[in-house]
Amino acid sequence: MQSDGTITYIHNLLITKKISCYELTQKYLDEIKKSKLNAYVNVCEESAIKSAKEIDKKIASGKEISLLEGIPMLLKDNMSTNGIETTCCSNILKGYVPIYDATVWELLKQQGAVLLGKGNMDEFAMGSTCETSCFGGAKNPHDISCVAGGSSGGVAAAVAGNIAVYGLGSDTGGSIRQPAAFCGIVGLKPTYGAVSRYGIIAYASSFDQVGPMTHTVQDASIVFDAISKYDPKDSTSCKNITCDTFCKLNNSISGMKIGIPKEYFEGIDSEIQKSINQAIEVYKSLGAQIEYFNLPELKYALPVYYILVCAEASSNLGRYDGIRYGYKAENYTDINDMICKTRAKGFGKEVKRRILLGTYVLSAGYYDAYYKKAQNLRGEIVRAFKRAFGKFDILLAPTAASTAFKFGMTSSNPVEMYLTDIYTVPVNTAGIPAISLPCGFHSNGLPIGMQLIGDNFSEAKLLNAANMYEMKTERQFLHKTDMGVKI
Amino acid sequence: MVNMIKREDILNIAGLSKLFVEENELDNLAKEMENIVKFADEINNAEISSDEFDNINGLCNVLREDIAKESFDRELILKNADGGKNGFFQIKNYNQ
Repeated sequence: MQSDGTITYIHNLLITKKISCYELTQKYLDEIKKSKLNAYVNVCEESAIKSAKEIDKKIASGKEISLLEGIPMLLKDNMSTNGIETTCCSNILKGYVPIYDATVWELLKQQGAVLLGKGNMDEFAMGSTCETSCFGGAKNPHDISCVAGGSSGGVAAAVAGNIAVYGLGSDTGGSIRQPAAFCGIVGLKPTYGAVSRYGIIAYASSFDQVGPMTHTVQDASIVFDAISKYDPKDSTSCKNITCDTFCKLNNSISGMKIGIPKEYFEGIDSEIQKSINQAIEVYKSLGAQIEYFNLPELKYALPVYYILVCAEASSNLGRYDGIRYGYKAENYTDINDMICKTRAKGFGKEVKRRILLGTYVLSAGYYDAYYKKAQNLRGEIVRAFKRAFGKFDILLAPTAASTAFKFGMTSSNPVEMYLTDIYTVPVNTAGIPAISLPCGFHSNGLPIGMQLIGDNFSEAKLLNAANMYEMKTERQFLHKTDMGVKI
Repeated sequence: MVNMIKREDILNIAGLSKLFVEENELDNLAKEMENIVKFADEINNAEISSDEFDNINGLCNVLREDIAKESFDRELILKNADGGKNGFFQIKNYNQ
């Protein structure tokens, strides 16, 4: 069973002094420099080394360190880091240096995390391939002619390519789970409100959620427990969060009821179908009860999602006016001209497309037919999942209908690109949690991911079910690429 | 429901979005937008049982207590805007 390179494994190396935090961090920084994955858009060499040396002093003095202390990691570039450039991989934010930390980063910093740098992503998290990044797309460590997925493609590539132990991504419509599936790692999208969004550059505020991207389910649990905390600075953060998933990881799942929504298997690649079927057999052998059922409301999830996120994005991205931060147009005749030119030049094509669509569905004459109708349909989708969880503990489905795409395959046709999100967006539309974990390899050599979906605040149950699968299959699908740091 | 999206529609939405659009981008944008709206229009085939939906986690609007708290230093905020002028954000005087 593979366990090297995981948080607990490295923690043990640190406390038994088999490696110093400085040596460890330096190894990662050296490999980042050599890497061709384009996973990082900003490397924090100096501050990483400084943190590592402080942790070494702490270890030398005999003090206890936390599980996450001294573990080198990365953050998606939409997470505010005080004093460290944060661009959302958009030209409009190049040069922007936040003056405060996102709460998730503050929490990890308190635990002594060593930040290696910021991860590549689709511009403002709008995309499924990482190709809309103004720095170019992140490459898939399993095949560099393929995308790492999106939007948290840089974090997925860095973890799978062993140039970070773990990372934080954000998931608005699948942006943690889909790249995790494409790169063969674990990605958890928590319940809306379980993790603070303070300091996360907003895309669609009622969908966005931050979560861990890791090698193993156990690592995801450790990181989730560290970042899931009530935050008065985020008005949608929940007060009654119980972040103790770790101690429940090995609970028996015998008798657990797992629902399989048939709609998730329409038009799916046959090899992915086969891997999912094998995973279902593993769950049966663990004593779970499996039942197929229909979730017809799912067919509306994708258009509902795109209408609502674009509407929210058009409002959220209204703040980029060239006055307070980021790029500003050089030649203009008046303030309106300056704002229009700044935004036209600063935003990429996909971002502009979504702002225009969002403005359209919110404009007079179209608001009722699109925005309001979609909002009400969102209620139908929420109720449909609620009904399903009246019957089942968790749901099991593929994460994506295909393995990672080749570069340039989908970006020319926006609707075609949106359709690739079909298996991930229903979860965000309903606000519920889901985890993607590796469950096989395609004959093309690329990883296959499955997702487990749970009711609100059922992360402990999801991580438990995911961990039991990983243990039973002896982490055989955790296929490490031969690049990056070897520990 | 789907209406043809014309060049004038794009100009109107672009104006509302404060986005400058080049003349030569209009036809392509109109075509793309029409395709996306056609795809989004599928929701108008759906029946809904209730039109009462506020948000996904049953949250309600809560305003924080009106107590002044320490905020960021003005100079620090203005750092991302080339330092500003006299403590304000500055843009070019366009009459000059």
